[in-house]
Amino acid sequence: MSVVTTTNLTRRFGPITALDRLTVELPAAGVIGLVGPNGSGKSTLIRILLGLIRPTSGNASVLGSAISSPAHYAARVGVLVESPAFIPGLSARANLVSLARLRHLPLGRVDAVLAQVGLVGRDREPVKRFSLGMKQRLGIAAALLSDPELLILDEPTNGLDPAGIVEIRELLRDLGREGRTVIVSSHQLSEIEAVCDHLVVIRFGKLVFSGPMAEMMKRTREHIDIAAEHAADMERLEVALVAGGWAVTAVDDVLRVAAAADRAAELNRAAAGAGVTLSRLVFAQDNLEEIFLEMTGRVDGELANGRAAVEEKVA
Amino acid sequence: MIAAVRSELTRLRQPRLLATWFGLMTLFAVMINTVMITFSTGGGSVPPGAPGVAFPTLAELESPSGLMSGLAAASSMFGVVTLSIWAVVTASDYGSGLIRLLVAAEPRRWRLLAGKIVALVILTAAATTVAAIVNVLAAFPLAGAAGISTAAWGTDLVSVVAGAWVNLFLALCVWGVLGLVIATLARSAAVAIAIGVGYVLVVESIIKMLKDVPSDWLLGTILNAVAAGGTAAVAYGTALAVGFGYVTLGLVLAGAVFIRRDVTD
Repeated sequence: MSVVTTTNLTRRFGPITALDRLTVELPAAGVIGLVGPNGSGKSTLIRILLGLIRPTSGNASVLGSAISSPAHYAARVGVLVESPAFIPGLSARANLVSLARLRHLPLGRVDAVLAQVGLVGRDREPVKRFSLGMKQRLGIAAALLSDPELLILDEPTNGLDPAGIVEIRELLRDLGREGRTVIVSSHQLSEIEAVCDHLVVIRFGKLVFSGPMAEMMKRTREHIDIAAEHAADMERLEVALVAGGWAVTAVDDVLRVAAAADRAAELNRAAAGAGVTLSRLVFAQDNLEEIFLEMTGRVDGELANGRAAVEEKVA
Repeated sequence: MIAAVRSELTRLRQPRLLATWFGLMTLFAVMINTVMITFSTGGGSVPPGAPGVAFPTLAELESPSGLMSGLAAASSMFGVVTLSIWAVVTASDYGSGLIRLLVAAEPRRWRLLAGKIVALVILTAAATTVAAIVNVLAAFPLAGAAGISTAAWGTDLVSVVAGAWVNLFLALCVWGVLGLVIATLARSAAVAIAIGVGYVLVVESIIKMLKDVPSDWLLGTILNAVAAGGTAAVAYGTALAVGFGYVTLGLVLAGAVFIRRDVTD
């Protein structure tokens, strides 16, 4: 069963097409990563799913209900959209109480979520005294308030210190294990890689990838990074390896050779054969960030969008 | 909708906001009584008045309704405060991004808007009560010190106070709705206050100076008439009807925009 389904979902803002006939199905249960460069359409998709904005065309459903009737599923969805938004002059508790009242929830839920995100003891302080990390925790608490089946969290670890990031990561994992579906939109790909079961990649409003994280990670390539003892030998080493049939790319101050770990000795011998002593030989594997950049390009999405709009106008 | 009202009332319970609102109502209630009594006993000449301010004569001041005449005289000042508070409360939802959370939690946006209006009306009633109490507490000693007879002030005390309270409350609700409507359209408190106050106090004053242009329909004139329980220019019933028309028009406009507009803040 899918928690979210979109069919040819399109949203235009003037000359900018934020979502371009996006068709995707997100499975129920587990943690789903929603990633893409700036301006790729992630926030637009989230806002459409929540009923904050309307699509230009196309259809979508959330928890089986059409997005034209968000009231049918709002009570079952918890959200943190972009930065956490609260009334700074009110305490954390009062802010949550106001949301609990709006959602017809018992006030006991406020205590429960405060404990869940570790804000007990600080809950009577005005939000204006909170650090970004504490506001983020409060934002997650607000999202959890209705004990939702579906959580949509935009950059949930933004502003948290390393210990806080680990804590929230554990919380997200637990929520996923409990049978909820958690959609996490983030730029922190290491976080996405660590916590998500399913991944959706969007670029320029179009779907680039949607599938299990394991399937995405199958795309990783192994490589060996090597460096010569003397920098002057690097060029000679590269020429010799290419001549020997190795696939070599210069990356910063090393040569990246596309090869599995078991070919390290062979590579070392090839370098020795060229009269070069290696000072470094490290086996590595692409991480999600490298695969992501490979898929989406190395250009900031918003800048690319802006350029595309200008070019379209000129044309 | 009750949930939306209770939720909004919780958010409005901000100490600084309430202190500012009630504090300004207190300040203006004391100030207007001081100024009004000073002018009334200073030779009997009624000053031309700042826009929207109308002072009673000494005879009016010494009549049974004189006790509460400060509320009507300062209704524009109270109105500006109320417009500003309603505008700030409305626009801050956009400025803080809270509107995202609210609409996601309650997609039936009309409930959010209605909840906000009802909650603000409740607090406007409280602010009106503050102004009325301070007015009574200030008027007696100030009048005594200025030698104004307060003998008639005890006559029909309850109906005079209640009538003045109702008139000011109704006028302030219209002022508030004006702030809410402009803030909803502009999504900015500063813009809403500038437009609202600028229109009522400046633009309308200019229109009134023009000959051959009837001014009975102007919002500021209507609101002063409501607050005073009717004036020589506009009868109370007419003022209420036109004021109701303005409120209806404003709410239909704000409601249509609020319900249809994308939440991109």
